[in-house]
Amino acid sequence: MMRILVITPVFNEEETLRGVILGIRTSLPQADILVVNDGSTDSTGNIAREEGVLILEHPYNMGIGATMQTGFLYALRNGYDIAIQVDGDGQHHPESLPSLIKPLLEGHCNLVIGSRYLSDGGFKSTFLRKLGIKFFSSVVWIFTGKRATDPTSGFRAMDRKGLKLFSEEYPSDYPEVEAVISANRKGLHFQEIPTMMRDRQGGTSSIGMLSALYYMVKVTLSISIGLFRRTK
Amino acid sequence: MSARLNLFAMIGSISLLLIILELVRRKYLRERYSLIWIMAGGIFLLLSIRLEILRRISDFLGFSVPSNALFFFGILFLVLIVLGLSVITSRLAEKNKVLTQEVALLKKQVADLEKSHNEPNPHR
Repeated sequence: MMRILVITPVFNEEETLRGVILGIRTSLPQADILVVNDGSTDSTGNIAREEGVLILEHPYNMGIGATMQTGFLYALRNGYDIAIQVDGDGQHHPESLPSLIKPLLEGHCNLVIGSRYLSDGGFKSTFLRKLGIKFFSSVVWIFTGKRATDPTSGFRAMDRKGLKLFSEEYPSDYPEVEAVISANRKGLHFQEIPTMMRDRQGGTSSIGMLSALYYMVKVTLSISIGLFRRTK
Repeated sequence: MSARLNLFAMIGSISLLLIILELVRRKYLRERYSLIWIMAGGIFLLLSIRLEILRRISDFLGFSVPSNALFFFGILFLVLIVLGLSVITSRLAEKNKVLTQEVALLKKQVADLEKSHNEPNPHR
């Protein structure tokens, strides 16, 4: 029996967290749920405790990369075979969870990414978002020779190989695209599956105009310099 | 350079050195990071006592005015210091991240242990 951990990183998600937990329990009852609370200042931590899920808490806000990595470390040290990231803002449909882990269970790959754009999932994107994602798709294609329609998607699942890699190194901000490329460099296989995503259910997106620009520059720089780093 | 300016420069460099030493004495500044500042203060003092040295270096490197050489090396020194500080900050940020993660994991472990400890145990 595979042990599965759903990692939900949260920072002030009191409006949506309960629904997300309920959705995961319904769609993937055999999985444990770990909420990693990244220094929320609202009642997010209390909601997680009321729901009786596993909880890890950062004493202060550290950002999404460090938060996910805390979850990866927990999964690795506690012997989980599969870890899944489901955001706490409700944009990832838990109904897609079984199909997200299927390629892992069948041993086809090490990292599965839920893509908004593989099928007509009815996800409405702004023009700028589409442009940004196109940009990152090309980046992934240039550096890996593989196609990824939605490399910025945080809705993903990985096996122990992926866990091991990401608990050793994981970018501290905007980690998604870099993680795909570094996984590919270490010989891990990734695959995309079509998933539905909602627009966020509450809260505000962490990405504004200026940070979008920083996102692109930072990731490109980080990946380019990474090429000159020796792999362990 | 006038004797008065010379005197001011000497007073300035001696004050700088004293401030650095006092910071180290109060442990506001680690010995490790103070060395470079003590060196800088020492060079200022040396230059203000023997201006001849600055003139010679400036002539040798081809600066038209000695003060240009002083500004050039001063700015170069500051850039290197700031770059070094950025490296130190990055290293601290990385360590801080690892520490935060370990604290989070340990807090959970302690909570779990406490819970299993408080459950009624017939063997005790």
